[in-house]
Amino acid sequence: MRMTLAILLCKALRFAGKLVGKGSSLPGQFALKLCPDVLRRVKLPSYVIAVTGSNGKTSTVEMIASVLRAAGKDVVYNAEGSNQIEGVTTLILTHCTLGGRMKGDVLLLESDERYARYSFRWFHPTHFVITNLYRDQLTRNGHPEWVYDAILPALHPDTTLVLNADDPLVSCFAQGHDRIRWFGLESWSGATVEHQGIYHDGARCPACKGPMEYTLYHYNHIGHYHCPACGHHRHTPDFAATGLDLKEGILTLEGDTRLALSFRSIYNVYNILAAWSLCRLCGVEKDTIASVLGSYILKNGRMVTFTLGRHHGVLLTSKHENSVAYDTNLRYIRDTERPCTVLVMVDAISRKYFTGETSWLWDIDFDLINVSHVERVVLCGKYVHDLALRFDFSAIPQEKITCYSSIPEAVQALAQEGEEDLYVVTCFSDRDKLLDKVQRTE
Amino acid sequence: MDFTLLHLYPEAMSLYGEYANLSVLSRLLEDLGAEVTLRTVAGGEVPDFSGADLIYMGAGTERTQKAALSWLMPRQKALRQAEEEGALVFFTGNAMELLGTAITDKEGKRFEGLGFASFTTTETDKRVPHDIIARTDFLDTPLVGFMNKCSVTAGAAHPLCSAMDLGAGNEAEGGPEGFFHGNLLATHITGPVLVKNPAFLLFVAKRLYEAKGEAMPPLPAGRPWLDRAERAYQVTLTELSAQIKGT
Repeated sequence: MRMTLAILLCKALRFAGKLVGKGSSLPGQFALKLCPDVLRRVKLPSYVIAVTGSNGKTSTVEMIASVLRAAGKDVVYNAEGSNQIEGVTTLILTHCTLGGRMKGDVLLLESDERYARYSFRWFHPTHFVITNLYRDQLTRNGHPEWVYDAILPALHPDTTLVLNADDPLVSCFAQGHDRIRWFGLESWSGATVEHQGIYHDGARCPACKGPMEYTLYHYNHIGHYHCPACGHHRHTPDFAATGLDLKEGILTLEGDTRLALSFRSIYNVYNILAAWSLCRLCGVEKDTIASVLGSYILKNGRMVTFTLGRHHGVLLTSKHENSVAYDTNLRYIRDTERPCTVLVMVDAISRKYFTGETSWLWDIDFDLINVSHVERVVLCGKYVHDLALRFDFSAIPQEKITCYSSIPEAVQALAQEGEEDLYVVTCFSDRDKLLDKVQRTE
Repeated sequence: MDFTLLHLYPEAMSLYGEYANLSVLSRLLEDLGAEVTLRTVAGGEVPDFSGADLIYMGAGTERTQKAALSWLMPRQKALRQAEEEGALVFFTGNAMELLGTAITDKEGKRFEGLGFASFTTTETDKRVPHDIIARTDFLDTPLVGFMNKCSVTAGAAHPLCSAMDLGAGNEAEGGPEGFFHGNLLATHITGPVLVKNPAFLLFVAKRLYEAKGEAMPPLPAGRPWLDRAERAYQVTLTELSAQIKGT
């Protein structure tokens, strides 16, 4: 009875909330007060899929949803990104019959890495995809091992873990867990023998802290590793990207399926690989997955094209406080090889909370854009002095750098001069300050 | 003038851009006309403290910190001797905790510390990373920065900061923070504290000169990077101060 009341309440509040434009967590919050174990009582679909990790959650979830729908499955997922327990409760209960049976073939959840254990207290996913763990928003998250410890209690023994074999910390989730499927990237022309980047979080084995050895690096600490001291090592992937040509934009999966990449970034490759692996585990045919993921255009708007004055511009949304996201976008700019200006904006460090923390700037490898085709670097925003100081310690020649203490000043200056390509690297928290002033193009 | 800066375990004890503390210190000393040698020590390698003017370690994860302790413990006496002979031992983030007598982790396991100071640290399962403003008795302006810890340090008799205007100190909100006694200089502030606090950077450089019985030469004019550091400091201080008023 309580369950039915909670479902009714949740549906009613969600309906009312939508009318007044309220968020999705409140109905779930009230339903949980009325019936705290409602998520244990409801009957969930036969596939309950969770995706977590520092980067790529949203993109991976979107791709999985598109593929499974193309395969004829009815997928319910938290597209609004309400990934804590209240939002998950709202999602589930609003899709339930009053008898407590959830409609749909698949429940797909993007799960906040710090709150997964609360979301999965009452039920557990059939499949849990963990993409990667990096330094990300340390002002909230502490550090990657802290996040690892937070995810661990959320992993039920019956859940099949779908893990990134190339991430040494993510691989530790396999310890003591029987049901593991691995995905990973094999050697390709962009892999390096030496570590690239400012810091090396793979230098020490996460299991025993002995020195780790790598035969190759894909980027940052992601690669093929083994620890001579304790034996922790990369597992042979069940689902492998067997070929990658980022210049041509071709990805080969499991030796026989070729995909054209719409966004030629190594990040995108891992998101596709995670989605591919999960969909294969759900029994979807390779051709069906390939037809959806081939040339898949991300709908989350992380890459936006526009014109500003005579510049053709591309906004590459990074995340402040996430040096790997920055590095990935800087690498993308490095590989374009056309004359360009790079605009870096740091004004509000987060859109969700206050912090004045700028240490992460020192973890970003800005030397990636110390190349001749990057002709100018424009820095702006409230934290422009922190940025400029960081660039004082980069190899980029000072004469290439111009600073503005506000975003409008920088935008105005760029509108008035130059016609080279313009790449903008910034965060969700700051990007609208630019997008409001430019002409968007498709 | 020659200075040798020794960076302990930069690959491991590096939570958040800590290497930059040595980048700015080296740049400053070079601008003052000194020759700077930067040496790094890898985890598990036996450090040689001879000739070191500054011995630095930054923050790490809780597990890496215990590894760092095990790497350094066999050289405890040598480190103590180097400090007594004038080397400045500068430990930031949870590297500070190594200087005390013990660290107890959240499972209750106790690790003997280096024992250079009488404080003890207890880790908890709570972590509240936060921005900080801290006052000292030796600088005209407060320190700004960020703290990322899950521990409480009790019994630090000689704190570096007398009080916190924003954030938690060693044991309590607003309370004293860090440790500064003899040539031991420690703070739990995470990341490049010397980058964010140019006055503190100058203070450390001055100590290095004094340890050699010399006065720090006057700063040559036209150091744009130092001007930028100062402006960045002012912006951060203004932003963080607004948080105090807002609460």
